[in-house]
Amino acid sequence: MEYIVVSILNGVVHGLLLFMVSAGLTLIFGMMGVLNFAHAWFYMLGAYVGFTLTRLGGFWIGLLLAPIIAGLAGTLVERYLLRRVHHYGHAHELLLTFGLAFIIEEIIKLFYGDALVSYQMPDYMRFAAFTIFETNYPFYRIFMGAVAIGMFIILYLLLTRTRVGIIVRAATYRPSTVEALGHNLPLVFMGVFAGGSALAGLAGAVAGAFYPTGPNMAVDFGTLVFVVVVVGGLGSVVGALIASLMIGLFISFSVGLNISIADFLGLFGLGNWASDIGGLFTLQLSTIANSMPFLLMLLVLLIRPAGLMGDRQ
Amino acid sequence: MSQARDLALFVVGLAILAILPLFLSPNLMNAVIKMMIAALFALAFALAMGQAGMLSFGHAAYYGLGAFAALHLMRAVEMKLFFFPTPLVPIAGAAIGFMFGIVFGWLATQRTGVYFAMVTLALAELLFTLAPTWNSVFGGESGISTMRGASWGLSFGPDSHVYYLTLAWFVISTWCMWAFTKSPLGRLALALRDNEHRVRFLGFNTHVARTLIFAISCTFAGVAGALLAIANEATNYTIFSAQASANVVLQTFIGGAGTFFGPALGAATMTFFARVTSDLTRSWLLYQGLIFVLIMLFAPEGLGGIVSLHMRKLRAGSWRQLLLPYLLCLVVGLLLISGLVFVVESIHVVMTDAYFAKRVAANGAWVPYQFFGRTFEPLGLTTWAIPIMLLGVGSLLLPMARRVTATAWLLATQEQSPPSRDGQSPTGVRQEATA
Repeated sequence: MEYIVVSILNGVVHGLLLFMVSAGLTLIFGMMGVLNFAHAWFYMLGAYVGFTLTRLGGFWIGLLLAPIIAGLAGTLVERYLLRRVHHYGHAHELLLTFGLAFIIEEIIKLFYGDALVSYQMPDYMRFAAFTIFETNYPFYRIFMGAVAIGMFIILYLLLTRTRVGIIVRAATYRPSTVEALGHNLPLVFMGVFAGGSALAGLAGAVAGAFYPTGPNMAVDFGTLVFVVVVVGGLGSVVGALIASLMIGLFISFSVGLNISIADFLGLFGLGNWASDIGGLFTLQLSTIANSMPFLLMLLVLLIRPAGLMGDRQ
Repeated sequence: MSQARDLALFVVGLAILAILPLFLSPNLMNAVIKMMIAALFALAFALAMGQAGMLSFGHAAYYGLGAFAALHLMRAVEMKLFFFPTPLVPIAGAAIGFMFGIVFGWLATQRTGVYFAMVTLALAELLFTLAPTWNSVFGGESGISTMRGASWGLSFGPDSHVYYLTLAWFVISTWCMWAFTKSPLGRLALALRDNEHRVRFLGFNTHVARTLIFAISCTFAGVAGALLAIANEATNYTIFSAQASANVVLQTFIGGAGTFFGPALGAATMTFFARVTSDLTRSWLLYQGLIFVLIMLFAPEGLGGIVSLHMRKLRAGSWRQLLLPYLLCLVVGLLLISGLVFVVESIHVVMTDAYFAKRVAANGAWVPYQFFGRTFEPLGLTTWAIPIMLLGVGSLLLPMARRVTATAWLLATQEQSPPSRDGQSPTGVRQEATA
């Protein structure tokens, strides 16, 4: 029981964090068709901005300015780089953002070095929210989850209940019609890209204070955010939330489970045969927990490429 | 005529590569081996990308599988299970590459474009995350290692033996890939890239064709991996990393995916660049990223595209008109690059822990730092005058250099009778020196 409750709590929080990072990407990908490879690096940028501003002015200033700075960086990238290569096609845009990821990471490393930086939450947030099965559950995890849920609600309302949201959603489906109706499409694109980057920056500033902030934080998320976007479906914020929660829960459950395919086959009396073969059959689920998101992504791509909530390819 | 010229170029290139080891230091010889392997890998990747338009983001999977296959084979030989000549070990890499290329390719080629890239990425990431936990095959996190066995009267101990082995496989594989582009399937690859629907209407099974082309690309990636395994005698799971897949994409596009030899040029250049600059500076990845982004922005056809543009467009003898403008571009480029390098390296020195310790020792004062054998004051006016001057003069001259080069380019290509088919503008050329 304890295991299930703690796994659910951790999985949900981890999933919500994943959602915060990938929500922006799913908007950018869904709307502009740009597979922004550098997206996780905006998350990293947000964490380092948060770290720097926490030292200079305080945690909350960092939290406020990190999304703004990441959003500004996103604006510059869209306006001066992506727009220039747009007419070469999506593959070219993907490659450009790919080079950009290198540049962002190396510039950050240039200033902060190769080691982890100690980005800490303020002391008054460092307490146990509640005690469950004699384990103290940190308040900050709840805080991260709350920020993510708040972000989801605002994003959802913005997209479904406002004029801006209508234009953005319309531009996803019929960009030329939106332009013909007199809306400034390049501006909409720039706004979406900046907004998506800002969300990643906010996620970085919030999560960086709890998880280690270092040069590898972007690479660790780099491919996982694609899993969320692909599994959730293009441009679907709800899909991204579901996919993130699924992956978060799956990882947090599987790290504690020591079952293998051989054990499963043992139910049918084939256990010894599988154990003799070894290899894949005897790998524990806990050790291959990290592979599972990619297996999920592969299955979705092959069976339902539009994703869980997407409705077109 | 043109064929004779190509053949002559080929023979001269081969002759240079064949006698090169006589003049190279062991370190440089190793670098050339790695350059050839990288070039072969990039050519294999470009077979799928440049020819058939399949952007694979997980080609390191087949490269790595080839390396592991070769190592397992060499290990079996070392344990005297059976005999297998070392020079033929890359065949194991090719076989594994082809097998997995067929299976994985069958899955991946059901999708096109970005979705294809995502499938290949997922497959490679699966391998990357499985490999460190799968001890019996991939040797866990430390990987596996072995020794090259002697065969055919050669010990394969010294690097020069490995060099000729790599060279032979490089030449054979490159020739095979070149022949492939001329084969019916190779022509079909081009058609698939340009218009898959029409190919399907013509009655071809495009899924089978794409799978086959992908598998052939993976075969040569496997050969490249096996050659790497022979050269290094060891490998571990990091060979499957997204970073490795990314590298070959980067190198191919810097070289130019549209031409046959461009990727090899790009891979060899960037491998050499990495080798040289990684010894000099820790920020070499920053420079590599900058080069990549600049090429993507201003010369999307890559280095190979620039070279072939010159070969196609220039009138005989007219290169003299371009000499001076290119020299100007080179000067401007050098000014800008040295200004940038100065700033980056200064920041780098000032941000290190060692410098911080010095500052603490000096009660927080900005102590002078050593750099290029000279001493600079971090807050001194003269220190910052250098990069500001370099960058300022460079950017002032840049528009002029672009204008002059564009005019000269127009003059040099003016009397060319047929206008360019692809609408290539000389933009790529103008940026050659600055990129």
